[in-house]
Amino acid sequence: MMGNGKNELMGPLVTGYKSYILIGVLLLVSLPLILAYSTLIITSFANTIVSNPWVKFNFTFDNWIAFFRGELSTTHARIYTTGEILRMIGNTVIVAAGVTAVVLGGSATSAYAYSRMKYRWRKGSLKLLLLLHAFPGVALIVGVYTIYYYTLVKYIPPQSRTLYSFFFVILARASLEIPMSIWILKGFFDRVPWELEWSVLIDGGSRWTAFRHAVLPLVKPGIAAVAIFAFLAGWEDLIYVMIFLPPNQKTLATFIEGQLASGSLETSYLPIMAAAGTLYLLPTILFFIFTQRLLLETMSGGLKG
Amino acid sequence: MKLGHKLSNATFFLLPAIILIAAFYILPLIVTTWISFTPLRDWKISQLTEFVELENYRALYKFVTTHPLGSLVLKTTIVFVVFTLIVNVLGGLLLAIATYVIEERVSLGFRLLWLIPRMTPLAVFGLIWYYFFYGSPQGTLNAFLLKLGLIDQPTFWGTDPNLLPWSAWSIIIFVNGLVGVSYGMIIFYSAFKSLPPELLIAAKVDGASTWQIVRHILIPMARWHLVFVTVWQLLSLVTSYTHLFVLVDWRIVDEWYGTTWALFVFTEAFGTVKNQGLAAAAAVILVIIGSLLGLLTLRIMRFDKITLEPKGDI
Repeated sequence: MMGNGKNELMGPLVTGYKSYILIGVLLLVSLPLILAYSTLIITSFANTIVSNPWVKFNFTFDNWIAFFRGELSTTHARIYTTGEILRMIGNTVIVAAGVTAVVLGGSATSAYAYSRMKYRWRKGSLKLLLLLHAFPGVALIVGVYTIYYYTLVKYIPPQSRTLYSFFFVILARASLEIPMSIWILKGFFDRVPWELEWSVLIDGGSRWTAFRHAVLPLVKPGIAAVAIFAFLAGWEDLIYVMIFLPPNQKTLATFIEGQLASGSLETSYLPIMAAAGTLYLLPTILFFIFTQRLLLETMSGGLKG
Repeated sequence: MKLGHKLSNATFFLLPAIILIAAFYILPLIVTTWISFTPLRDWKISQLTEFVELENYRALYKFVTTHPLGSLVLKTTIVFVVFTLIVNVLGGLLLAIATYVIEERVSLGFRLLWLIPRMTPLAVFGLIWYYFFYGSPQGTLNAFLLKLGLIDQPTFWGTDPNLLPWSAWSIIIFVNGLVGVSYGMIIFYSAFKSLPPELLIAAKVDGASTWQIVRHILIPMARWHLVFVTVWQLLSLVTSYTHLFVLVDWRIVDEWYGTTWALFVFTEAFGTVKNQGLAAAAAVILVIIGSLLGLLTLRIMRFDKITLEPKGDI
């Protein structure tokens, strides 16, 4: 997709000692980032906060063990049970998986329509999608919460309310990803040659057959990219989960938020929070390692029509 | 195929997205606008049908013009948006140039490194900067400055009253800049990548220095992208509030010196105040500004020209 022509033909523009200086400057600029992330990850395996290179520490798994046992204070009092901690992780997975499913279901067929069909409002609604992607989320969330709260109080029996809040938070959070996902997927559909579907349609197949059996298998990388972005969006969400889920249904995000929000700091023990944070960061790191090129290319493709 | 059939076909394919967008964009927008004309507080939904005309807008105007916190919110918003924008656009350009001219393997490493903040869960990103700016000698920044002898004792960087307002402002600009800078980097980098290699080879053969190539080929080439990224980032900075929420909520920065207009909307609606009427009025203002900036972006993108016609429709 992005031509790598430059490097193959002529090598890097800057070479020799100058390139070392440039890389040195880049490293220096990146230093806060490197320091901040290594503080988190190393501290999770240490007996103290490893905030700088001069700290002496012992390697230990105690923070991870304490986190999974729910011992979140310096006095080793059990604030949560292991079951509750696992439940939080489970909730985070449920929201992330739900968001992925809704985003894929909500964007794949539309992206196909934008890539392949002519209809009134096509261009206009494509513009609208771009505007919606940049829409002030905070203005939406006031309205979305009002709708949620109104329907919850008026129509949902108390025993179904937790289920309803999960249902709602997944749909609401997924919707934020729909406009960009349609754009990204449309880009992938645009690159599939038309002849394949043509032959399906000529043979009397329906649009749906053409979409499902001829085109969809060819845009697997696009589906994968959108699925990864959607999963990470659901996985990382704090604001929606915090507002919509009842207080007894925590995810890793609201758990960390609850420990650090003003006032509750005394009970939390920072290295244990580092273990929670590192665990929470894990899927992001894994996706990074395994799908780096796909992520970079999809992100740069977001601009193109 | 007849037009009617065709339309229903397209509608069928578009239906899931139409439902989601109607339910979670269009309807909430109407509801938010509606609330801005009601006295809604503490989510007392019976108040949804009471009307106060423009009372919320008047209260908002009064807050901004006469209340010290109101003008502070405006000031913080302007400082935050202007400086973070500069960081995002110029930083993104510099990162793109630097990673473009060096060896591909090293370049990929740096581009991925700078992408990490964008992909990091909000709570983890907050946690990281919580440790970094922590007010004890164990905070990373304090530890370094103490070691270098630049300070005698640790400081709560974002909340110490002696250092406000620029300390808190610097932190919100810094933390949001780290997230935002990768957008420009990616866009500019892929713009450079689309340059024909022959052009660069010709320039090199003619003896152009790297600096001349950057100055006379790369930057002019990215001019359109610069405008696009500037407007698009301006829009996203005006409306962004999630990272600020964490910084303020965890007292990494002072509550008021970290509150921009967008975060003010959120805190009014969901914080301790819970004045949804006022929050909705402030949100409507944000929507108007956001829509204008969005339309401006579409014009700059020359949207009509870059949209492909659908392929092979019958």
